[in-house]
Amino acid sequence: MTTAAVGAPGSARRYLHSLWLLSARDLKVRYSTSALGYLWSVLDPLVMSAIYWFVFTQVFHRTVGYEPYIVFLITALLPWVWFNSSVSDFTRAFNRDARLVRSTAIPRSIWVNRIVLSKGVEFLCSLPVLALFVVLSYFTDHPAQLNWGLLWIPVAVLLQTVLLVGLGLLVAPLCVLWNDLERTTKLILRALFYASPVIYGVEDLPGVFETLAAFNPLAGIFALYRVGFFADEWDPWVIGIGAVMSFLFLALGIFVFRRLERPVLKEL
Amino acid sequence: MTASDLAIEVQGLGVRFRRNRRGRRSIKDLFSDSSRRSKPGEFWALRDVSFDVRPGESIGVVGRNGQGKSTLLKLVAGVLLADEGTVAVNGGVAPLIEITGGFVGDLTVRENVRLTAGLHGMSKAEVARRFDGIIDFAELEDFIDTPYKHLSNGMKVRLAFSVVSQLEEPILLVDEVLAVGDKAFREKCYTRIDELLADGRTLFFVSHSERDLRRFCTRGLYLDKHRLAMDAPIDEVLDRYNADYPVGA
Repeated sequence: MTTAAVGAPGSARRYLHSLWLLSARDLKVRYSTSALGYLWSVLDPLVMSAIYWFVFTQVFHRTVGYEPYIVFLITALLPWVWFNSSVSDFTRAFNRDARLVRSTAIPRSIWVNRIVLSKGVEFLCSLPVLALFVVLSYFTDHPAQLNWGLLWIPVAVLLQTVLLVGLGLLVAPLCVLWNDLERTTKLILRALFYASPVIYGVEDLPGVFETLAAFNPLAGIFALYRVGFFADEWDPWVIGIGAVMSFLFLALGIFVFRRLERPVLKEL
Repeated sequence: MTASDLAIEVQGLGVRFRRNRRGRRSIKDLFSDSSRRSKPGEFWALRDVSFDVRPGESIGVVGRNGQGKSTLLKLVAGVLLADEGTVAVNGGVAPLIEITGGFVGDLTVRENVRLTAGLHGMSKAEVARRFDGIIDFAELEDFIDTPYKHLSNGMKVRLAFSVVSQLEEPILLVDEVLAVGDKAFREKCYTRIDELLADGRTLFFVSHSERDLRRFCTRGLYLDKHRLAMDAPIDEVLDRYNADYPVGA
């Protein structure tokens, strides 16, 4: 009777089918309903890069990061935008599509993972901007020094996916049960931007903060993104702790999600 | 009979809700086993419900408002999880449990059909093949690219029934949505349900209309005081229900 179906209910194939269906819908809505379309995924990081580049190279005398600073900024800003937009969307992951969640018996983790996936695709689509600035840097006094560390970028993407899925499984159900958390999350995100090595590098932090920063998984992940352009960013301690922390968040997320799935469905 | 021969197997089912939305929650809830303690301010919407359904049976759920009929359907559909007991469903479920079919307001009729059918496992090609039939049945040819939220209530129900009844799932759940449509459309729905039943689908039907229940269902489940009070042929169940709650008394 179910010849027309894609995989059996509960199979991995059906899971991916549903996941892609929802993510593709997000992307389609984002790209087809606005005049600027693709530009939106690069506009945010571009404007932010321009601001920080202006403030730290033209206004202040910069002592942090590496040359070319604009490449240094963009290598972390693009993944930051993926992180930031995903986590802000997690706060409404269930509420936004409450009707669908209430009437469709697909595995509930899809509502979280579809955000990671669609924002991740947007992130990958924004990478050409990074390539553009790398090329442009060859016409300046400080060309980017590419090295084999570039091969770490896929690992960084994977690690960031692990971290985001973990955070999503943690944040999304909690936000359904406690409304206050939605605004708290936004506040934490804003603080986290300056607490993470985006406009500076981990090694620029003074004293004990350098050790503490390693426990922010974003520090290790951003270091992996940067290592292909700035070989000095390689720091096994920061990257190792970052990887461990990412998987710890995933484990915590899975635990909390299992516990909260039941009350969340009652609440919607 | 082995378990796999059954379409639905429900064992000692219970689900608990909070009485007021502002009930206090604590981080401790995270770590406590949800099935054990009964907390103050909570009540059992359903408890100790057990029954088996064989494939092809058509079952009517009877009971007053607030006795757990819709909750039972949601548990069978898997969009709500039980606090105790188990629900085992063999094969997929086509649920018509929300009056609006659970469609997304901002998407157009076309996008909603693709999304809902897709989430029930229909491939893109299959959706495309059936699309005209679905729209035709719902009589929405002129509204294919209209955002769902701009449809009238009647149109919404027509679309919801049309999509759900096209899903190739062996079990169909219908929760009193048919009361909304006009008479002509209702007749069309009845014909479609008859076809599905003749096709060997299992039907789970919640309704306050005695006529509908007697027409489609062979077996009745009577929910009273949040428990399964009776599980018998539909005529006996309805007689008991009418005796318990006489009209006009």
